[in-house]
Amino acid sequence: MLGALLYLRLTSLKNLLLSRVRRLKQPKYLVGAIVGIGYFYLMFFRRFGAMSSRPRPSGLSLAALPVLDLTAVFATIGALALLVIAAFAWALPSDKPGLAFTEAEVAFLFSAPISRRWLIHFKVLGAQLRILLSALFFTLISSQWSFLGGNALMHAVGWWVLLSALNLHLTGAALTISRLVEGGVSTTRRRVLVAGLVGAVIVGTVAMTWQSAPAFTPRDRAGPGAILAYVARLIDTGVLHWLLWPGKLLVGPFLASGAGAFFRALGPALLLLAAHYFWVVRSETSFEEASIALAEKRAARVARIRSGNFQLGTAKPKARREPFHLRGRGRPELAFLWKNLLSTRPYFHWRVWLVTAGLIAWGVTWGGRQDPSGLFAGIVATFAALFAGYTLLIGPQLARQDLRGDLSNTDILKTYPLAGWQLLLGQLLTPIAILTGLLWLALLAAALALAARGGTISWLTPGFRPTAGLCLALTVPPLVTLQLLVPNAAALVFPAWFQATRQRGGGIDLMGQRLIFGVGQMLTMVLALVPAVLVAGALVFLTQWLIGLPAAVVLATLVVLAILVGEIWCGLWWLGGRFEKLDLSAELRP
Amino acid sequence: MIEVHALTKRYGDFTAVRELSFTVQPGEVLGLVGPNGAGKTTSLRCIAGIIPASSGTARIAGHEVATEPVAAKRALAFFPDEPRLFDYLTVRQHLNFVARIYGVADHEAIAQPLLDELEIADKADQLPGELSRGMKQKLAIACGLLHGPRVMFFDEPLTGLDPLGIRRMKDSILKRARDGAAIVLSSHLLHLLEEVCSHVLILKQGEKIAHGTLAEVTAQFAQGETGVSLEEIFIRATGGTEH
Repeated sequence: MLGALLYLRLTSLKNLLLSRVRRLKQPKYLVGAIVGIGYFYLMFFRRFGAMSSRPRPSGLSLAALPVLDLTAVFATIGALALLVIAAFAWALPSDKPGLAFTEAEVAFLFSAPISRRWLIHFKVLGAQLRILLSALFFTLISSQWSFLGGNALMHAVGWWVLLSALNLHLTGAALTISRLVEGGVSTTRRRVLVAGLVGAVIVGTVAMTWQSAPAFTPRDRAGPGAILAYVARLIDTGVLHWLLWPGKLLVGPFLASGAGAFFRALGPALLLLAAHYFWVVRSETSFEEASIALAEKRAARVARIRSGNFQLGTAKPKARREPFHLRGRGRPELAFLWKNLLSTRPYFHWRVWLVTAGLIAWGVTWGGRQDPSGLFAGIVATFAALFAGYTLLIGPQLARQDLRGDLSNTDILKTYPLAGWQLLLGQLLTPIAILTGLLWLALLAAALALAARGGTISWLTPGFRPTAGLCLALTVPPLVTLQLLVPNAAALVFPAWFQATRQRGGGIDLMGQRLIFGVGQMLTMVLALVPAVLVAGALVFLTQWLIGLPAAVVLATLVVLAILVGEIWCGLWWLGGRFEKLDLSAELRP
Repeated sequence: MIEVHALTKRYGDFTAVRELSFTVQPGEVLGLVGPNGAGKTTSLRCIAGIIPASSGTARIAGHEVATEPVAAKRALAFFPDEPRLFDYLTVRQHLNFVARIYGVADHEAIAQPLLDELEIADKADQLPGELSRGMKQKLAIACGLLHGPRVMFFDEPLTGLDPLGIRRMKDSILKRARDGAAIVLSSHLLHLLEEVCSHVLILKQGEKIAHGTLAEVTAQFAQGETGVSLEEIFIRATGGTEH
């Protein structure tokens, strides 16, 4: 029986790898693979090679004090992390079954003469491929942690032990919980039990620590490493000391300083791993029903993604009140704003924006008055600027209530009696509204904070501030529109590439493709902004002597707006034509 | 009403539809049949302006699809085999959205009788996720009919419908045809063609191999025999193989 199951797993793996290699014949995957490999080489392997060829640095900066045993500190912290994960698995398990089967596995294996135990063996061993790949990936990342001893092979084995144990524990916990539920133990009872145990441990530890806490000496304040060591010593007391013991065994091989320590740590860790394996395969729990439900859910999600609907999450949509009344007559583009707003969160509503703006205005003004030093205002202005930058750069990737989210409905959209540019503009309106709203709020906060700080910036005089703020606010919508046009253009100009990057999971070729898109977006934006920035700079420089700085900025803003709107119009017109000619069925033919 | 002339669709070296020509007059229902991969859906999608044809022309209500797409699309409705709906819009909101797209001013007065006719009035405030397959199909039809199209394309309209749904769909198609619409439908279900279609067009490997009224096509392949079923005609016409 194991032979047949292994055949299934290994043949599937072989065919998966072959299909990944075969698709490299397509330029989009080949170029992606080259870029992905290059990225990996530059980020990990080059540094990895360089590190192994020269002596390891004496340690992380927080290990500045050689007397500290950082291995023990990180063993305690790692074990605590494992304990927290395990506690969550018992107290708040997900609704997924312990063993996840695909629809094909359900169809072929559940009706086959295979015992439940063999199915568990199959899934547990089948998870090893993912675990091995994850272990290799984490080894690459941890190769840059200079406090680690040992070598890459030890780290890889260490990661494998850790991840395998975690996987087995989570599986075992889910199966055991299923059995408890079958036995009549309710979710509430289980949660009360686990919460009671966790609470008792915390109370016991705090009480014992209170009585026997080591003194916080000047030596413990010597640096971050010393403080960390002190915290680890505090944690590692009483009941918690015993609860952390299995976790410490598991992280032992990874943190081993040399070959001897590694082999000494490996034995107990493997024993613990074997105990977990024994526990899981002996779990006689009926997992089939939950596995079938999950398999169906996953298959539906895959079908949704393949059809172009990439909305994440499993939450069921709810009927909502309309964001505004949509009459039968009027600009058809607004129908898309109306439709796409319905698909967003309910808090993207103009009333919520107004209330938020009011709260920001009151909060920043009040805070500024309470803190004459200007520290509060400085912090607010900094955070507002960071938030605005993040929103402008990352927002277009997150706010996808546009054509990218509606590609699955291309057939229907193309039957509408609308020009391509109208459809594209309509689709863009919702993310434009959302991102513009967020940026205006950030701008409001920053402007009020700067006003509260007073005359710290010489040229930002009280008279000039409203003009500058208004000009900046006016440039936000076209900037956001340009930012959103680029990824939508990618979806229309390179649909096959775009669809490929939206596939789940991946491979190094898909990672490379995503990198290419990211860099492409930045380059396109820079090219689009260069004319506007150059003209604006020249105008302000030349005219401020004649008409004054505020008027020069207003003039420059108007010219910038004209340039950006012109670019947007050209982009919409061209991309609209692309949409009209788009034939996804031809683009996606293998 | 629908005029197709020498329509061809190529994907690289592969020709999906070759030199297809036909016309459909108001009140006529043309059944597009053929084996899997014969080019039925591709033909429908080209004529409806969803995908561009490689060559040839298609005119809808006098407007050429390639050069006057907006005017042509204003006159047509396309019903795909799988109803494509927006997850976050209720039944009523779907109709509201479509009304704005087509500029239907008095859409509420039109929508209510449509919802009643299609028996989904009681589902007006439900989302597609809460509807059965048949109900979704009805909603897609209501959306397509809202602007009073004179030309309709149905791609496998009976897929996933129960017997009652099939009966209602057939009645609905016949009613639209009686009201003067020109209709093209593609289907594998030959009994549907016998009951609904006035004309039939058989495609094989992207080429038209027969076209005419049911009687004409039957006569073409009956070889003098009487009482030959449409199924037998189809098998004789296509050679009994796929593609």
